Amino acid sequence: MAKRVLMNGNDAIGEGAIRAGCDAYYGYPITPQNELTAYMATHMPEHRRIFIQAESEIAAINMVFGTVAAGKRAMTSSSSPGISLKQEGISFLAGAELPGVIVNVQRGGPGLGNIAPSQADYFQATKGGGHGDYHQIVLAPNSVQEMHDLTIKAFGLAEKYRNPVMILTDGRLGQMMEPLTLYTGRPPVMPPKDWAVNGARNRSPNFIRSLYLVEGELEALNIKLQKKYARIRKDEILWEDRLTRDCDVLLVAYGTSARIAKGALTVAREAGIRAGLIRPITLWPFPHTAIAKAAERAKGILVVEMSSGQMLEDVKMSVNGQVPVFFEGRMGGGVPLTSTILKRIKTIARIKKRR
Amino acid sequence: MDFTYKKPEALTDVRTHYCPGCGHGIAHTLIAEVVDALKIRKRTIGVAPVGCSVLAYFYMNFDVTEAAHGRTPSVATGIKRVLPDRIVFSYQGDGDLAAIGTAETIHTANRGENITVVFMNNAVYGMTGGQMAPTSLIGQKTATSPNGRDPETMGPPIRMCELLNTLDRPYHIERVAIDGPDGVRKVRKALFTAFKAQVEGKGYSFIEVLSPCPVYQRLSPVDALRFVGKEMAAYFPVRVFRKEGTIINA
Amino acid sequence: MLERILITGSGGQGVILIGKILATLAVKSIPHITFFPSYGAEVRGGTSACQVILSSKEIASPLSEVFDTIVCMNQEGADQFCRQMTKQSLVIVNTSLCKKPIVRSNILQMDATRLADGLGDTRVANFIMLGAYLAAKPVVSPLQAEKGIRELLAGKNMSLIDLNIKAFRTGLKS
Repeated sequence: MAKRVLMNGNDAIGEGAIRAGCDAYYGYPITPQNELTAYMATHMPEHRRIFIQAESEIAAINMVFGTVAAGKRAMTSSSSPGISLKQEGISFLAGAELPGVIVNVQRGGPGLGNIAPSQADYFQATKGGGHGDYHQIVLAPNSVQEMHDLTIKAFGLAEKYRNPVMILTDGRLGQMMEPLTLYTGRPPVMPPKDWAVNGARNRSPNFIRSLYLVEGELEALNIKLQKKYARIRKDEILWEDRLTRDCDVLLVAYGTSARIAKGALTVAREAGIRAGLIRPITLWPFPHTAIAKAAERAKGILVVEMSSGQMLEDVKMSVNGQVPVFFEGRMGGGVPLTSTILKRIKTIARIKKRR
Repeated sequence: MDFTYKKPEALTDVRTHYCPGCGHGIAHTLIAEVVDALKIRKRTIGVAPVGCSVLAYFYMNFDVTEAAHGRTPSVATGIKRVLPDRIVFSYQGDGDLAAIGTAETIHTANRGENITVVFMNNAVYGMTGGQMAPTSLIGQKTATSPNGRDPETMGPPIRMCELLNTLDRPYHIERVAIDGPDGVRKVRKALFTAFKAQVEGKGYSFIEVLSPCPVYQRLSPVDALRFVGKEMAAYFPVRVFRKEGTIINA
Repeated sequence: MLERILITGSGGQGVILIGKILATLAVKSIPHITFFPSYGAEVRGGTSACQVILSSKEIASPLSEVFDTIVCMNQEGADQFCRQMTKQSLVIVNTSLCKKPIVRSNILQMDATRLADGLGDTRVANFIMLGAYLAAKPVVSPLQAEKGIRELLAGKNMSLIDLNIKAFRTGLKS
């Protein structure tokens, strides 16, 4: 066994960011992500990196804007209400084509909600969140190991595409501890940032903007962004496939819900029910094709989420009415039970084959 | 400091979009002159606000980034902390600095970030069409105070230098006014002091520039200068508030 | 193997700490481990609990509905969680603070808080309970555990470490 350490998910993200060469972290207290801010407060200075507890989530995301505009790596984190405050800043990052890593350790909402785990910010994360026609890349870990590994990946993707990347997780994954094998490779290496504002030495001045007032200029920017998003859709979709080859019942779930779904899947298989799971790891871009393919011979799909059914819409879009799609979810901080999911799987397994 | 009267290298040779009589063009030139005088053009990074000077990056011949409305000092902080040997300044209007971005303004000053803040106070929102600013004078008529600013319901104008002067960390705080040739020279001197302080690593400097906006101050260019020098200066005293980290009493 | 442990007590009794220590000690030898804390809204006092799952197979959820072992440091915790067990479950109770009798065969009674007082510090009752647990279910060898505890507490005051080890041994021997 490789050397492992026990860590909670929030700390694993922090350590991932440090190992990915994050130059600056800007945070603001909000439960359930406080461990991450505290981790960075302790460890960033040890690595001679920057840590600031900002005066607000808004200030924090704009400090990220400054640091990435200067060509350095930056991250901020928060939980749902605080992430709402960051949306303007994320839209500006997208418009100015700047990298930046944002962590959302989701809690129950709407409003102040509660501090229990939730997946109710899926729409906000994957469908825009802020104003304008933009996308951020959204990564959804489902273990402490992935909290760590996907954070490192996030920094690479952000710079590869000059685009904000969000790690969308929840309070349960943030506070849970699991053994973790720490990343020991080099930080992602990216092409030189000849666009950065870091002093016009031996070059003409750079400027970074998202304002385009001349007729046609903004449309041109949008076309350019859409082309970039098409490249991301083509090359960066990630998902986990578990036992879908022969499945009658296809489960689709991410993050904490996927962990519970996996438990139900194991029990179902032991009971002789052919169940399978697609776990989207990138929520944007979304694995539409993988789901459609895995559902080809399924009797039905069961989407499991800690929301009223948000990813559900993307799953329905994936199969375009060809396979019935069912939903099992909890809201307001509730977490679906293995036993409930199992009951739903059994019901779907009894559906008569369509063909 | 000697200044030669020519187009500074730190200014691009393009026509600005500013209205006749506007103070922004003058302030841009003065900043560019100071940047040249300190020989820091190749390591200066400006942060432009949302407001009339949103397009400042077209006029500055050094690196400039935009910032979301009011978040200018946070963006400047994010740059300066990772590039401490660069010279970073934010350039902000009254709406940006003293309304939507008040929290960022105060906390950036309170942390004593080693940056320079240039606060263009013309007592009105320009780009959006002449609305009341946090610094509009009592009785001043604007698009959103059509009967004049009423302190009972709208509050009186905010004095930012005085407010920031209650904090421990700022190194230099000064209010100057573009109200005529002598005023302009004083603005340049103040900017020089502030940028030099940053070059020397002394800490946070804040220069408030009372500035004409003939269009929305609803005055002729000449009367706008008089408005700045008399009426604005009567409410916003033109003086040094903090020098070398020490509070200067009036 | 599958061992699902719930440790519960009052905030400040160190139940989270021994849960974390147990999970950390297991990292070397057990492939799948989860630790999950739950606190009351209070920062001090209130009921606090944590769950540790040790398994040779992948763990779906870090929260279990039933437990193989329940460690109760106070009465409230015992009242709240003792329903979540099977016939085989082991219950370890701190009888110094849990006065209501629990009727079942698989029970280990530890007068932990009183024993801790005897050692000179009421706060080390948690290590007595950890020792008692590992004596009953050696998921980690007690020798390894003692070594691990010393490593985990490294940097703390030496006399405090020794006291905790002494408490751990007291639990182990009982």
